[in-house]
Amino acid sequence: MRILPPLYETLRFLLLDLQKQLQLLSDALENQEPGLLDKSLGRVDYIDNAHLTLLERAGRQYGRRTNEHSDAQQRIVIQSYEHIAHSLKALSGQLQQMAHQLKHIGSLKLIRKKNVFSALQDLNKGLSLITAAIESDSLTLAVDICRLQLRIDKACSAQLDKYKKRLRQGISPPQSDALLQACFILKDIDLMGDALLRVGEGIMSANLGQFIQIDRFRALEESLSVLDGIRRQDLNIHSMGETKSGCTISGVSASSESEDRILAIFKQGKKTKLQEEKARIEKWHQKYPGIAPEVYAYQKQGDKAALLYEYLTGQTFNKLLLAKQSKPLKKGLDALFATLNKIWEQTAIDEVHPAHFMKQLQRRLPQVYEVHPDFQLKGLKIGNVKQVSLETLVEEAQKFEKRLQVPKAVYIHGDFNTDNILYDPLEEQISFIDLHRSEYLDYVQDLSVLMVSFYRIANFDPTVRKRIVQAMQASYAFATEYAAKIDDRDVELRLALGLARSLITSTRFVLDKEHAKSMHFKGRLLIEQLLQLSDDELHHYKIPKELFHD
Amino acid sequence: MAKKTNLFEHESLQDKDAIVQYLKALTEGIEKGEVLLSDDDEKVTLNPTPFGRFKLKATRSKKVQELRLKISWIGHEDDGERAQPLHIQPSSA
Repeated sequence: MRILPPLYETLRFLLLDLQKQLQLLSDALENQEPGLLDKSLGRVDYIDNAHLTLLERAGRQYGRRTNEHSDAQQRIVIQSYEHIAHSLKALSGQLQQMAHQLKHIGSLKLIRKKNVFSALQDLNKGLSLITAAIESDSLTLAVDICRLQLRIDKACSAQLDKYKKRLRQGISPPQSDALLQACFILKDIDLMGDALLRVGEGIMSANLGQFIQIDRFRALEESLSVLDGIRRQDLNIHSMGETKSGCTISGVSASSESEDRILAIFKQGKKTKLQEEKARIEKWHQKYPGIAPEVYAYQKQGDKAALLYEYLTGQTFNKLLLAKQSKPLKKGLDALFATLNKIWEQTAIDEVHPAHFMKQLQRRLPQVYEVHPDFQLKGLKIGNVKQVSLETLVEEAQKFEKRLQVPKAVYIHGDFNTDNILYDPLEEQISFIDLHRSEYLDYVQDLSVLMVSFYRIANFDPTVRKRIVQAMQASYAFATEYAAKIDDRDVELRLALGLARSLITSTRFVLDKEHAKSMHFKGRLLIEQLLQLSDDELHHYKIPKELFHD
Repeated sequence: MAKKTNLFEHESLQDKDAIVQYLKALTEGIEKGEVLLSDDDEKVTLNPTPFGRFKLKATRSKKVQELRLKISWIGHEDDGERAQPLHIQPSSA
């Protein structure tokens, strides 16, 4: 980790005092000398001071520019110092708590246990590794520090189990009080282990150039072993954000090459999600080769998993839409529609799988109301005119939906929003990512999700809004063209239901109140319109294009 | 006793016909002397009196056209004192 002398110096002072605080507390316990507890507590002020000094110096470092490091790199290193100092101060706070509790517990006998001493020793070991870990360029020592947390946690749990056993045996109140207090002390020690883990992670983060947690790091380490000939030290990873399903995504690139060339994407999250995604990607390779990224490695551990896959070039449609020029978006949409045409043609099966838009909507309404409680309205009455609640409306619409003709199912993306579709203008190639919901379904599902994901974009620049309208109109035109080709007569009706579904459910990701309202209202209006259609009108229904406008 | 201000608020997107229907329902209510508004959670009944203050405001910008309509009736809930005439006519002998 890069040494920033003003920060490193203060950190070392902080660390020295913390080691003293811990040592004095351990001595008090070992030698049964409660007097040492006050001495241990005496270190707290020094630690507070050092922490404040470090924060102040860090603040000044932020403004400073260096020649050899970019602002972003510099920021991460300063943040790591702050993070480490903060974790050490938390650890000190926990030690302080523990000293206070030990002063009041009466007999130290309950705490003078092998497990407790071993945990405190590990803590001490961890603290003594910190300077070496910071000064080293390799991650080994930082990882060692992180590993100590596991041992501390184990020792604490083992001791807690013993206390619990005794508590269950039914003992007299003074003893049970002492046992309870002992339990709290063990919890404190456990938390100190967590603080130590944070320190290790802070050092690793500074070395890797991004904030990382140890679990993720282990998975990454294992996954990368498949990239032949590249050692971990030669790789940079940087965060590329988080998905709505809680997965984290990072780009992996070689340090030797320019930063832009990403070798692979590393994704980590819940095992169920990633397992599914891997299976679906493989299925795409069978159904329509070349559209999904290649999977390099898959790792699982407990309920978590990690995927390492091909980095696809190109830009998401979200980016294309917000780009300065409108031409790339137009070319992208043309390529997208041509690709969809082929995919649907090739994957159509002799089965019908309705999308059940209204059921999807019904299922997600509680989540919508969680974000926007004011959308949950019961029936409205103005004089003699009544308006039913959305729930009632959706129920009626479910019956309506059952009557509609659905064409042959095709293999769909399943989460077809602008962030999950890439267009590479050089290769004129479309790619899909985030494929964990792919399945055989009505093609209208993907199109309606796509259209609403355009609308949903919370950018109100008039030029952007205009482009959004155009993108929606183009998607709509493509839908009707494709429908005519396969003789799908109810496309407008199903598309209206699909749009209503996505407009209403997507509001849970839209925090801009006016924008969310506009989507909610439009979704509801579409359903109302459909339900009012007479049998004659049904087949002439056209989705009002005004709804694409803001 | 604290005086309660009942509040009813509603907002939605409607096609032209539906808006006309709502307006009709409101005018009918005014004629009858009772306007009922409810959405199960909130319920407000207004009893328009013969004279009300009527305020209209229309704006038009590039993006939005807006018509605001405000009608207020001064409450006349049982008010013992006001019911007393201030000027007592001398009884003619």
